[in-house]
Amino acid sequence: MIIPENWDYFDLTVRVNGQDYRERIPTHLRLLDFLRDVLHLTGTKEVCGEGECGACTVLLDGMTVNSCLVLAVEAHDSEVVTIEGVAEDEDIAALQQVYIDHHAIQCGYCTPGFVLSAAALLRDEPEADPESIRKGLVGNFCRCTGYQKIVQAISDFRK
Amino acid sequence: MKYHLPSSMDEYEELIGRMGAASYVILAGGTDLIAGFDGGRPVPEHLIDIKAIPRMNGILEHREHVEIGALTTIEALRRDEHIRNHFPALAQSCEDFGSVQIRHRATLGGNIVNASPAADTLPALFIYNAMVKLRGIQGERVVPVQDFILNPGEVDLQRGEILYSIQLPRSECRSLFHKLGLRQAMAVAVVNYAIGYTIRDHHFTHLTVAAGAVAPRVVYLKTFMDAVADERIALDRAIALVDNDIAPIDDIRATARYRRTVLKNLLLNTLTELLADDRKR
Repeated sequence: MIIPENWDYFDLTVRVNGQDYRERIPTHLRLLDFLRDVLHLTGTKEVCGEGECGACTVLLDGMTVNSCLVLAVEAHDSEVVTIEGVAEDEDIAALQQVYIDHHAIQCGYCTPGFVLSAAALLRDEPEADPESIRKGLVGNFCRCTGYQKIVQAISDFRK
Repeated sequence: MKYHLPSSMDEYEELIGRMGAASYVILAGGTDLIAGFDGGRPVPEHLIDIKAIPRMNGILEHREHVEIGALTTIEALRRDEHIRNHFPALAQSCEDFGSVQIRHRATLGGNIVNASPAADTLPALFIYNAMVKLRGIQGERVVPVQDFILNPGEVDLQRGEILYSIQLPRSECRSLFHKLGLRQAMAVAVVNYAIGYTIRDHHFTHLTVAAGAVAPRVVYLKTFMDAVADERIALDRAIALVDNDIAPIDDIRATARYRRTVLKNLLLNTLTELLADDRKR
Protein backbone atom coordinates (compact mmCIF):
# COMPACT_ATOMS: atom_id res chain seq x y z
CA MET A 1 0.00 0.00 0.00
CA ILE A 2 1.30 3.48 -0.89
CA ILE A 3 1.04 5.83 2.07
CA PRO A 4 1.12 9.61 1.43
CA GLU A 5 3.88 11.46 3.29
CA ASN A 6 1.59 13.46 5.55
CA TRP A 7 -0.03 10.28 6.90
CA ASP A 8 1.39 8.37 9.79
CA TYR A 9 1.81 4.64 9.51
CA PHE A 10 1.96 1.62 11.76
CA ASP A 11 3.55 -1.80 11.26
CA LEU A 12 0.66 -4.11 11.92
CA THR A 13 1.00 -7.76 12.85
CA VAL A 14 -2.24 -9.63 12.69
CA ARG A 15 -3.52 -13.16 12.14
CA VAL A 16 -6.41 -13.32 9.68
CA ASN A 17 -8.16 -16.62 9.01
CA GLY A 18 -5.22 -18.49 10.49
CA GLN A 19 -2.60 -16.74 8.38
CA ASP A 20 -0.08 -14.25 9.80
CA TYR A 21 0.33 -10.88 8.12
CA ARG A 22 2.72 -8.03 8.65
CA GLU A 23 1.70 -4.89 6.81
CA ARG A 24 2.60 -1.21 6.96
CA ILE A 25 -0.71 0.64 7.13
CA PRO A 26 -1.99 4.20 7.74
CA THR A 27 -2.89 4.64 11.41
CA HIS A 28 -6.43 5.82 10.61
CA LEU A 29 -7.25 2.82 8.39
CA ARG A 30 -10.35 0.97 9.55
CA LEU A 31 -10.15 -2.78 10.02
CA LEU A 32 -12.79 -3.07 7.27
CA ASP A 33 -10.58 -1.24 4.75
CA PHE A 34 -7.55 -3.24 5.81
CA LEU A 35 -9.39 -6.50 5.11
CA ARG A 36 -10.88 -5.39 1.80
CA ASP A 37 -8.26 -3.09 0.29
CA VAL A 38 -5.00 -4.42 1.73
CA LEU A 39 -5.69 -8.15 2.07
CA HIS A 40 -8.32 -8.19 -0.73
CA LEU A 41 -10.69 -10.21 1.46
CA THR A 42 -13.78 -8.70 -0.11
CA GLY A 43 -16.28 -11.07 1.49
CA THR A 44 -16.60 -8.52 4.31
CA LYS A 45 -19.04 -5.87 3.05
CA GLU A 46 -19.55 -2.21 3.83
CA VAL A 47 -23.05 -0.80 3.81
CA CYS A 48 -23.66 1.94 6.37
CA GLY A 49 -20.13 2.54 7.63
CA GLU A 50 -21.40 3.57 11.05
CA GLY A 51 -22.09 0.38 12.95
CA GLU A 52 -25.83 0.20 12.30
CA CYS A 53 -26.17 -2.60 9.77
CA GLY A 54 -23.67 -5.34 10.64
CA ALA A 55 -22.70 -6.13 7.02
CA CYS A 56 -19.03 -5.69 7.96
CA THR A 57 -19.20 -8.07 10.96
CA VAL A 58 -16.02 -10.09 11.61
CA LEU A 59 -14.71 -11.96 14.64
CA LEU A 60 -11.98 -10.13 16.53
CA ASP A 61 -10.40 -12.49 19.07
CA GLY A 62 -13.57 -14.55 18.82
CA MET A 63 -16.05 -11.72 19.36
CA THR A 64 -18.30 -10.22 16.71
CA VAL A 65 -17.46 -6.59 15.96
CA ASN A 66 -18.37 -4.09 13.28
CA SER A 67 -15.10 -3.82 11.34
CA CYS A 68 -16.11 -0.29 10.26
CA LEU A 69 -15.89 0.81 13.91
CA VAL A 70 -12.50 -0.73 14.69
CA LEU A 71 -9.20 0.67 13.51
CA ALA A 72 -6.81 -1.80 11.95
CA VAL A 73 -4.20 -0.78 14.55
CA GLU A 74 -6.57 -1.97 17.28
CA ALA A 75 -6.32 -5.47 15.81
CA HIS A 76 -2.53 -5.49 16.30
CA ASP A 77 -1.38 -8.88 17.64
CA SER A 78 -4.96 -10.14 17.47
CA GLU A 79 -6.83 -12.77 15.53
CA VAL A 80 -9.47 -11.92 12.95
CA VAL A 81 -11.88 -14.30 11.26
CA THR A 82 -13.79 -13.18 8.16
CA ILE A 83 -16.33 -15.00 6.01
CA GLU A 84 -13.43 -16.36 3.94
CA GLY A 85 -12.13 -17.97 7.12
CA VAL A 86 -15.38 -19.56 8.26
CA ALA A 87 -15.98 -21.07 4.83
CA GLU A 88 -12.97 -23.33 5.37
CA ASP A 89 -14.35 -24.70 8.57
CA GLU A 90 -16.64 -27.69 7.91
CA ASP A 91 -19.29 -26.86 10.53
CA ILE A 92 -19.69 -23.29 9.53
CA ALA A 93 -19.64 -24.10 5.86
CA ALA A 94 -22.66 -26.23 6.73
CA LEU A 95 -24.18 -23.13 8.32
CA GLN A 96 -23.74 -21.33 5.01
CA GLN A 97 -25.45 -24.24 3.27
CA VAL A 98 -28.59 -23.95 5.44
CA TYR A 99 -28.91 -20.30 4.41
CA ILE A 100 -28.96 -21.51 0.83
CA ASP A 101 -31.33 -24.39 1.57
CA HIS A 102 -33.82 -22.05 3.26
CA HIS A 103 -33.54 -19.31 0.62
CA ALA A 104 -32.39 -17.09 3.46
CA ILE A 105 -30.44 -15.05 0.93
CA GLN A 106 -31.71 -12.67 -1.69
CA CYS A 107 -29.12 -10.11 -2.80
CA GLY A 108 -26.61 -11.69 -0.41
CA TYR A 109 -24.85 -8.50 0.62
CA CYS A 110 -25.76 -8.85 4.30
CA THR A 111 -25.14 -12.61 4.37
CA PRO A 112 -21.45 -12.73 5.37
CA GLY A 113 -22.22 -10.60 8.42
CA PHE A 114 -25.25 -12.71 9.28
CA VAL A 115 -23.25 -15.94 9.00
CA LEU A 116 -20.55 -14.63 11.35
CA SER A 117 -23.10 -13.42 13.92
CA ALA A 118 -24.94 -16.74 13.73
CA ALA A 119 -21.72 -18.73 14.04
CA ALA A 120 -20.70 -16.78 17.17
CA LEU A 121 -24.21 -17.11 18.61
CA LEU A 122 -24.35 -20.88 18.10
CA ARG A 123 -20.85 -21.26 19.55
CA ASP A 124 -21.93 -19.43 22.75
CA GLU A 125 -25.54 -20.68 22.88
CA PRO A 126 -25.82 -23.99 21.02
CA GLU A 127 -29.42 -24.35 22.24
CA ALA A 128 -30.55 -20.89 21.11
CA ASP A 129 -34.31 -20.76 20.50
CA PRO A 130 -35.85 -18.50 17.82
CA GLU A 131 -36.19 -15.66 20.34
CA SER A 132 -32.49 -15.91 21.30
CA ILE A 133 -31.55 -16.14 17.62
CA ARG A 134 -33.41 -12.91 16.94
CA LYS A 135 -31.73 -11.22 19.90
CA GLY A 136 -28.34 -12.50 18.80
CA LEU A 137 -28.83 -11.08 15.31
CA VAL A 138 -30.13 -7.62 16.26
CA GLY A 139 -26.99 -6.02 14.88
CA ASN A 140 -27.45 -7.41 11.38
CA PHE A 141 -29.90 -5.87 8.93
CA CYS A 142 -31.38 -7.51 5.84
CA ARG A 143 -33.41 -5.30 3.52
CA CYS A 144 -34.48 -8.01 1.04
CA THR A 145 -35.85 -11.20 2.52
CA GLY A 146 -36.94 -10.26 5.98
CA TYR A 147 -35.74 -12.26 8.90
CA GLN A 148 -38.08 -15.23 9.03
CA LYS A 149 -36.08 -17.42 6.67
CA ILE A 150 -32.82 -16.50 8.33
CA VAL A 151 -34.17 -17.47 11.76
CA GLN A 152 -35.57 -20.68 10.28
CA ALA A 153 -32.26 -21.53 8.64
CA ILE A 154 -30.35 -21.10 11.90
CA SER A 155 -33.00 -22.99 13.90
CA ASP A 156 -32.82 -25.80 11.39
CA PHE A 157 -29.02 -25.91 11.53
CA ARG A 158 -29.24 -26.19 15.31
CA LYS A 159 -31.22 -29.43 14.93
CA MET B 1 -2.71 10.89 12.78
CA LYS B 2 -0.24 9.73 15.41
CA TYR B 3 -1.43 6.59 17.16
CA HIS B 4 -0.31 6.10 20.77
CA LEU B 5 -0.83 3.03 22.92
CA PRO B 6 0.51 3.76 26.43
CA SER B 7 0.93 0.56 28.44
CA SER B 8 0.58 2.16 31.90
CA MET B 9 -0.76 5.30 33.59
CA ASP B 10 2.84 6.50 34.01
CA GLU B 11 3.46 6.11 30.30
CA TYR B 12 0.19 7.88 29.55
CA GLU B 13 1.10 10.82 31.79
CA GLU B 14 4.55 11.03 30.27
CA LEU B 15 3.01 11.07 26.81
CA ILE B 16 0.60 13.89 27.74
CA GLY B 17 3.53 15.84 29.19
CA ARG B 18 5.53 15.43 25.97
CA MET B 19 2.64 16.46 23.73
CA GLY B 20 2.57 20.09 24.87
CA ALA B 21 -0.41 21.88 23.37
CA ALA B 22 -1.08 19.39 20.58
CA SER B 23 -4.70 18.30 20.22
CA TYR B 24 -5.54 14.71 20.98
CA VAL B 25 -8.51 12.40 21.27
CA ILE B 26 -8.83 9.44 23.66
CA LEU B 27 -9.86 6.12 22.14
CA ALA B 28 -11.70 3.53 24.26
CA GLY B 29 -14.22 1.26 22.47
CA GLY B 30 -14.41 3.59 19.49
CA THR B 31 -18.01 2.83 18.54
CA ASP B 32 -18.91 6.52 18.41
CA LEU B 33 -15.48 7.87 17.56
CA ILE B 34 -14.51 5.74 14.60
CA ALA B 35 -17.79 6.18 12.72
CA GLY B 36 -16.51 8.99 10.53
CA PHE B 37 -12.94 7.81 10.06
CA ASP B 38 -13.87 6.80 6.52
CA GLY B 39 -13.22 10.34 5.33
CA GLY B 40 -16.39 11.94 6.63
CA ARG B 41 -14.64 13.93 9.34
CA PRO B 42 -11.00 15.03 9.71
CA VAL B 43 -9.10 12.55 11.88
CA PRO B 44 -7.45 13.92 15.05
CA GLU B 45 -3.77 14.88 15.13
CA HIS B 46 -3.07 12.43 17.96
CA LEU B 47 -5.11 9.42 18.98
CA ILE B 48 -4.40 7.95 22.41
CA ASP B 49 -5.67 4.40 22.74
CA ILE B 50 -6.04 3.69 26.47
CA LYS B 51 -6.92 0.01 26.12
CA ALA B 52 -3.44 -1.21 27.10
CA ILE B 53 -3.50 0.57 30.49
CA PRO B 54 -3.88 -2.23 33.04
CA ARG B 55 -6.64 -2.52 35.66
CA MET B 56 -9.10 -0.37 33.71
CA ASN B 57 -11.17 -3.33 32.58
CA GLY B 58 -13.20 -5.31 35.10
CA ILE B 59 -15.43 -5.15 38.15
CA LEU B 60 -14.07 -5.06 41.69
CA GLU B 61 -16.35 -5.73 44.65
CA HIS B 62 -15.50 -3.66 47.72
CA ARG B 63 -17.42 -3.59 50.99
CA GLU B 64 -18.77 -0.07 50.57
CA HIS B 65 -18.97 0.10 46.80
CA VAL B 66 -18.43 -1.68 43.53
CA GLU B 67 -15.76 -0.28 41.25
CA ILE B 68 -16.13 -0.70 37.50
CA GLY B 69 -13.11 -0.04 35.29
CA ALA B 70 -13.93 2.57 32.63
CA LEU B 71 -12.95 0.14 29.86
CA THR B 72 -15.39 -2.56 31.00
CA THR B 73 -17.56 -3.35 27.99
CA ILE B 74 -21.32 -3.06 27.95
CA GLU B 75 -21.54 -6.79 27.14
CA ALA B 76 -19.39 -7.67 30.18
CA LEU B 77 -21.66 -5.54 32.40
CA ARG B 78 -24.77 -7.10 30.91
CA ARG B 79 -23.50 -10.59 31.71
CA ASP B 80 -22.07 -9.88 35.16
CA GLU B 81 -23.96 -11.72 37.93
CA HIS B 82 -23.09 -9.22 40.63
CA ILE B 83 -24.27 -6.26 38.56
CA ARG B 84 -27.47 -8.11 37.62
CA ASN B 85 -28.23 -8.89 41.26
CA HIS B 86 -27.20 -5.68 42.96
CA PHE B 87 -27.49 -3.01 40.27
CA PRO B 88 -30.27 -4.36 38.04
CA ALA B 89 -31.10 -1.01 36.45
CA LEU B 90 -27.55 -0.83 35.11
CA ALA B 91 -27.66 -4.41 33.84
CA GLN B 92 -31.04 -3.71 32.18
CA SER B 93 -29.68 -0.56 30.52
CA CYS B 94 -26.98 -2.74 28.94
CA GLU B 95 -29.53 -5.30 27.73
CA ASP B 96 -30.95 -3.41 24.76
CA PHE B 97 -27.84 -1.30 24.27
CA GLY B 98 -26.88 -1.05 20.57
CA SER B 99 -26.27 -4.49 19.10
CA VAL B 100 -24.17 -7.49 20.07
CA GLN B 101 -21.30 -6.15 17.95
CA ILE B 102 -21.54 -2.68 19.52
CA ARG B 103 -21.73 -4.11 23.06
CA HIS B 104 -18.55 -6.11 22.49
CA ARG B 105 -16.60 -2.87 21.92
CA ALA B 106 -18.52 -0.06 23.65
CA THR B 107 -17.33 0.73 27.17
CA LEU B 108 -19.09 2.14 30.23
CA GLY B 109 -16.52 4.95 30.40
CA GLY B 110 -17.11 5.81 26.76
CA ASN B 111 -20.87 5.97 27.22
CA ILE B 112 -20.37 8.43 30.09
CA VAL B 113 -17.74 10.64 28.45
CA ASN B 114 -19.73 10.76 25.21
CA ALA B 115 -22.39 12.50 27.37
CA SER B 116 -25.32 11.91 25.06
CA PRO B 117 -28.60 13.24 26.51
CA ALA B 118 -30.01 9.79 25.62
CA ALA B 119 -27.06 7.71 26.94
CA ASP B 120 -28.52 4.41 28.10
CA THR B 121 -26.32 3.83 31.15
CA LEU B 122 -26.57 7.33 32.63
CA PRO B 123 -30.05 7.22 34.23
CA ALA B 124 -29.00 4.08 36.13
CA LEU B 125 -25.70 5.64 37.20
CA PHE B 126 -27.63 8.72 38.39
CA ILE B 127 -30.01 6.76 40.64
CA TYR B 128 -27.14 4.75 42.12
CA ASN B 129 -25.31 8.01 42.95
CA ALA B 130 -22.33 6.80 40.95
CA MET B 131 -19.00 8.56 41.39
CA VAL B 132 -16.47 8.82 38.59
CA LYS B 133 -12.77 8.53 39.34
CA LEU B 134 -10.64 10.75 37.12
CA ARG B 135 -6.90 10.33 36.87
CA GLY B 136 -4.35 12.48 35.14
CA ILE B 137 -1.25 14.57 35.36
CA GLN B 138 -2.72 16.68 38.18
CA GLY B 139 -3.49 13.58 40.24
CA GLU B 140 -6.78 11.96 41.05
CA ARG B 141 -10.27 13.23 41.85
CA VAL B 142 -13.62 11.58 42.40
CA VAL B 143 -16.80 13.44 41.43
CA PRO B 144 -20.52 12.57 41.33
CA VAL B 145 -21.55 11.53 37.82
CA GLN B 146 -24.30 14.17 37.74
CA ASP B 147 -21.68 16.91 38.22
CA PHE B 148 -19.36 15.34 35.67
CA ILE B 149 -21.89 15.60 32.80
CA LEU B 150 -22.07 19.26 31.74
CA ASN B 151 -23.80 19.50 28.37
CA PRO B 152 -24.50 17.27 25.38
CA GLY B 153 -21.08 15.83 24.51
CA GLU B 154 -19.35 17.87 27.20
CA VAL B 155 -17.95 16.59 30.50
CA ASP B 156 -15.82 18.00 33.30
CA LEU B 157 -12.61 16.38 32.09
CA GLN B 158 -9.46 18.46 32.30
CA ARG B 159 -6.66 18.25 29.77
CA GLY B 160 -4.56 15.22 30.61
CA GLU B 161 -7.30 13.50 32.60
CA ILE B 162 -9.03 10.26 31.76
CA LEU B 163 -12.10 8.64 33.26
CA TYR B 164 -10.49 5.76 35.13
CA SER B 165 -13.33 3.99 36.94
CA ILE B 166 -16.91 4.26 38.11
CA GLN B 167 -17.83 3.66 41.75
CA LEU B 168 -21.31 2.50 42.72
CA PRO B 169 -22.07 2.86 46.44
CA ARG B 170 -23.90 -0.17 47.81
CA SER B 171 -27.56 0.43 48.53
CA GLU B 172 -30.57 -1.49 49.81
CA CYS B 173 -32.93 0.13 47.30
CA ARG B 174 -34.57 -1.81 44.55
CA SER B 175 -34.20 -0.48 41.04
CA LEU B 176 -35.14 -0.85 37.40
CA PHE B 177 -34.52 0.73 33.99
CA HIS B 178 -36.91 1.26 31.11
CA LYS B 179 -36.23 2.44 27.58
CA LEU B 180 -38.57 3.42 24.81
CA GLY B 181 -37.00 3.41 21.34
CA LEU B 182 -38.56 3.43 17.89
CA ARG B 183 -37.51 -0.21 17.68
CA GLN B 184 -36.08 -2.49 20.32
CA ALA B 185 -32.51 -2.86 19.03
CA MET B 186 -30.05 -0.37 17.63
CA ALA B 187 -32.23 2.58 18.55
CA VAL B 188 -31.41 5.79 20.37
CA ALA B 189 -33.92 6.24 23.20
CA VAL B 190 -36.99 8.43 22.67
CA VAL B 191 -37.10 8.47 26.47
CA ASN B 192 -35.39 6.30 29.05
CA TYR B 193 -35.48 6.29 32.81
CA ALA B 194 -34.17 4.48 35.86
CA ILE B 195 -35.96 4.22 39.17
CA GLY B 196 -34.51 3.50 42.60
CA TYR B 197 -37.16 2.80 45.24
CA THR B 198 -38.18 1.38 48.56
CA ILE B 199 -41.78 0.43 49.22
CA ARG B 200 -43.07 0.20 52.78
CA ASP B 201 -46.73 -0.17 53.80
CA HIS B 202 -47.70 0.08 50.14
CA HIS B 203 -46.05 3.47 49.70
CA PHE B 204 -42.81 4.68 48.23
CA THR B 205 -40.74 5.65 51.24
CA HIS B 206 -37.87 6.37 48.92
CA LEU B 207 -38.02 7.18 45.23
CA THR B 208 -35.30 8.39 42.86
CA VAL B 209 -36.06 8.80 39.18
CA ALA B 210 -33.56 9.87 36.52
CA ALA B 211 -34.65 10.28 32.91
CA GLY B 212 -32.80 10.63 29.62
CA ALA B 213 -33.57 12.19 26.22
CA VAL B 214 -35.89 14.72 27.87
CA ALA B 215 -33.36 17.49 28.58
CA PRO B 216 -29.84 18.49 27.44
CA ARG B 217 -28.52 16.19 30.19
CA VAL B 218 -29.95 13.21 32.01
CA VAL B 219 -32.01 14.74 34.85
CA TYR B 220 -33.44 13.74 38.19
CA LEU B 221 -37.22 14.22 38.28
CA LYS B 222 -36.75 16.13 41.48
CA THR B 223 -40.08 17.87 42.10
CA PHE B 224 -41.94 14.71 41.15
CA MET B 225 -39.97 12.33 43.33
CA ASP B 226 -40.01 14.67 46.33
CA ALA B 227 -43.79 15.00 46.07
CA VAL B 228 -44.28 11.22 45.89
CA ALA B 229 -41.88 10.44 48.74
CA ASP B 230 -43.55 13.09 50.93
CA GLU B 231 -46.92 11.49 50.17
CA ARG B 232 -48.33 14.96 49.72
CA ILE B 233 -50.20 13.93 46.62
CA ALA B 234 -51.30 10.69 44.98
CA LEU B 235 -49.22 9.26 42.17
CA ASP B 236 -51.69 10.01 39.39
CA ARG B 237 -51.78 13.66 40.37
CA ALA B 238 -48.10 13.96 41.18
CA ILE B 239 -47.17 12.73 37.72
CA ALA B 240 -48.02 16.17 36.24
CA LEU B 241 -45.07 17.57 38.22
CA VAL B 242 -42.72 15.72 35.88
CA ASP B 243 -43.29 18.60 33.45
CA ASN B 244 -41.35 20.89 35.79
CA ASP B 245 -38.32 18.62 35.75
CA ILE B 246 -37.79 18.14 32.03
CA ALA B 247 -37.09 20.27 28.95
CA PRO B 248 -37.41 18.02 25.91
CA ILE B 249 -36.92 19.10 22.31
CA ASP B 250 -38.34 18.08 18.93
CA ASP B 251 -35.96 15.96 16.89
CA ILE B 252 -35.99 13.25 14.24
CA ARG B 253 -37.10 10.63 16.76
CA ALA B 254 -39.97 12.38 18.50
CA THR B 255 -41.56 15.72 19.30
CA ALA B 256 -41.11 17.39 22.66
CA ARG B 257 -44.83 17.02 23.29
CA TYR B 258 -44.71 13.28 22.64
CA ARG B 259 -41.72 12.88 24.94
CA ARG B 260 -43.55 14.67 27.78
CA THR B 261 -46.68 12.58 27.35
CA VAL B 262 -44.96 9.24 26.91
CA LEU B 263 -42.57 9.72 29.83
CA LYS B 264 -45.43 10.56 32.19
CA ASN B 265 -47.56 7.67 30.95
CA LEU B 266 -44.79 5.09 31.12
CA LEU B 267 -43.57 6.27 34.49
CA LEU B 268 -47.04 6.30 36.01
CA ASN B 269 -47.61 2.83 34.62
CA THR B 270 -44.31 1.50 36.00
CA LEU B 271 -44.84 2.96 39.47
CA THR B 272 -48.47 1.82 39.65
CA GLU B 273 -47.38 -1.70 38.74
CA LEU B 274 -44.67 -1.69 41.40
CA LEU B 275 -47.25 -0.75 44.05
CA ALA B 276 -49.72 -3.35 42.73
CA ASP B 277 -47.02 -6.05 42.84
CA ASP B 278 -46.24 -5.05 46.40
CA ARG B 279 -49.88 -5.41 47.44
CA LYS B 280 -49.99 -8.93 46.03
CA ARG B 281 -47.24 -10.14 48.34
